[in-house]
Amino acid sequence: MLSITALSRSYGGVFAVRDVSLVVGQGELRGIIGPNGAGKSTLMNLISGQTQPLRGSIHFDGARLERIPTHRRARLGIAIVFQGARLFRGMTVLENVMVGATSITQSGAFAAALRLPAQRREEHHIRERAVAALARVGLSDWADRPADSLPLGQQRRVQVARALAGAPKLLLLDEPASGLRAAERRDLSDLIAQLHGEGMTIVLIEHDVAMVMKLATRIAVLDLGQVIADGTPEEVRSNQRVIDAYLGTEVSRAHS
Amino acid sequence: MNPSMKRAIPTAVVALIAILIPLFLNDKTVYVQTVLSAVVVVGLSLFMGYAGQASLGQGAFVAVGALTVAVSTVSFNVPPLIALIAAPVTSAGLAYVLGLPLLRLRGHYLAFGTLAVLLLVGALMGGVPILGGGAGIVGIPSLGIGSLVVTGQLFFAYLALAVLAVTMVVSRNVISSRFGRGVRAVAGSESAAASSGVPVLRTKLAVFALAGGCAGLVGGITAFFIPYVSAESFPPSMSFTYVIMAVIGGLGTLWGGVVGAVVVSVLVQALNTISNIPGTPPIVGLILQYAAYAIILILFLLYMPRGLWPTVGDAVKRRLAKRVKRSQTDYSDQHA
Ligand SMILES: Nc1ncnc2c1ncn2[C@@H]1O[C@H](COP(=O)(O)OP(=O)(O)OP(=O)(O)O)[C@@H](O)[C@H]1O
Ligand SMILES: [Mg+2]
Repeated sequence: MLSITALSRSYGGVFAVRDVSLVVGQGELRGIIGPNGAGKSTLMNLISGQTQPLRGSIHFDGARLERIPTHRRARLGIAIVFQGARLFRGMTVLENVMVGATSITQSGAFAAALRLPAQRREEHHIRERAVAALARVGLSDWADRPADSLPLGQQRRVQVARALAGAPKLLLLDEPASGLRAAERRDLSDLIAQLHGEGMTIVLIEHDVAMVMKLATRIAVLDLGQVIADGTPEEVRSNQRVIDAYLGTEVSRAHS
Repeated sequence: MNPSMKRAIPTAVVALIAILIPLFLNDKTVYVQTVLSAVVVVGLSLFMGYAGQASLGQGAFVAVGALTVAVSTVSFNVPPLIALIAAPVTSAGLAYVLGLPLLRLRGHYLAFGTLAVLLLVGALMGGVPILGGGAGIVGIPSLGIGSLVVTGQLFFAYLALAVLAVTMVVSRNVISSRFGRGVRAVAGSESAAASSGVPVLRTKLAVFALAGGCAGLVGGITAFFIPYVSAESFPPSMSFTYVIMAVIGGLGTLWGGVVGAVVVSVLVQALNTISNIPGTPPIVGLILQYAAYAIILILFLLYMPRGLWPTVGDAVKRRLAKRVKRSQTDYSDQHA
């Protein structure tokens, strides 16, 4: 489904992502871990189109992604939950989530100006999808609040709902659990498992290694922009390079 | 009475007052100009307030709309009604084409870019013969179809009002739609908007063209109203007036645009009256106007940065909410 080949991106001569090759199969839940600055977010941004690669290629469902602009990648079924909040200021929680359905709807300014019947039907459909997505992340009671008035944990969930409103085929999650409390983490983890169970392909970046180990079918480990390991959670856990570069303390903590 | 009808009452009252005012005015020029500038400002508010962009060049699109009418009717004998329709189309088209390079700029750079367009259009109007070249274009025919010709200020007053009403309704419909949410999303986070499927540049272009179209229509109507088009009758300073109207009324609200246009027009009229007192040199009026702009702009940015409409509106809402709460507590006290 997603196939990345020899992908590189540098900032000011320093490689953030270097010669990365990665395959994510249909319905897979792919974990990506690695220390701070390893290039995880850069890789996500390359897939969703926020930045362009220096070299290499990205194939998604048979299409070459590199030359496709971000909004068209969304229409192909790629959604991203950013590491920061990145909500739309001045809009309510519900409106934020409704924007997420842009990628699966059509109507334009002209139809809206005249309130054509097809536009009104679509508007109704968008609202229903957004309400359902909000219910899924447990934010129904917050629908009419200004999005930027929410605490950080809730803002992250708004982002997840926004991504879900577009019914993505590929969901990119960049540290969705950071800044969440334990109970919120459990809910999020359950939701991700559920989405995976429904057949959604997911790429999950997390510093919460226990969570990734539990959820992911395969895990890639990035360090200094390069893939240093790629395999099942068990394989990665016992890989000496991974333990040296990143896991060391984290795994021993998770097992004690 | 259902809530949506209740909410329509203030709008209906405002509309009624707006309809009645011109009947009591001998000279309706200021009224027509105020209502028309409100149309420009509502368009500008879509672009600046909702899409989060900046334009110091709206006056250029007004001038282009006026030129479209003047040149096409006087030099090419185009029927007035066709010329009037061509005005917003030309301005919107020009905005779109200029937007292609300009809207890749952000913030101050975009403001300077639109300012350059404004100065360029002004220079062309002042220098190119077919565009009036200094002398201006006279002899614009009256608005009408065939032999049926309308004249008189009252017609223009109601034409302007009708255009404002349609602009408001269309803008409201657009803002609360899929497209409009995309516009507001672009103002919030371009990267998140794009990855939700919003075509960022195309959305900005569409709003810029829409705002340009509003300005062009106003220019076209003005050309028939005055009826004379020259560089002096569309001075670049009007562009700043539009921005000031939008900021004072409240960016990101449609009614704010109308409130801003009315407040600033009344203020300018008051200053004109002062400077028309016999014995004052003619330059005083202009100096007073610019000084007033500077002072109110600074005061608003310091003390009411959101503008009149949102600030006053929220205060009223809070008042009402408090009163409802109080009556509810009274009720529970009695029944406790
Ligand atoms: N826009 C940018 N401009 C300059 N350098 C950048 C930019 N984005 C990322 N980098 C650099 O690229 C490297 C990889 O950053 P990236 O954000 O991808 O890491 P990460 O693995 O997501 O880290 P974290 O776990 O802290 O989120 C870092 O050295 C970072 O400084
Ligand atoms: Mg990161």
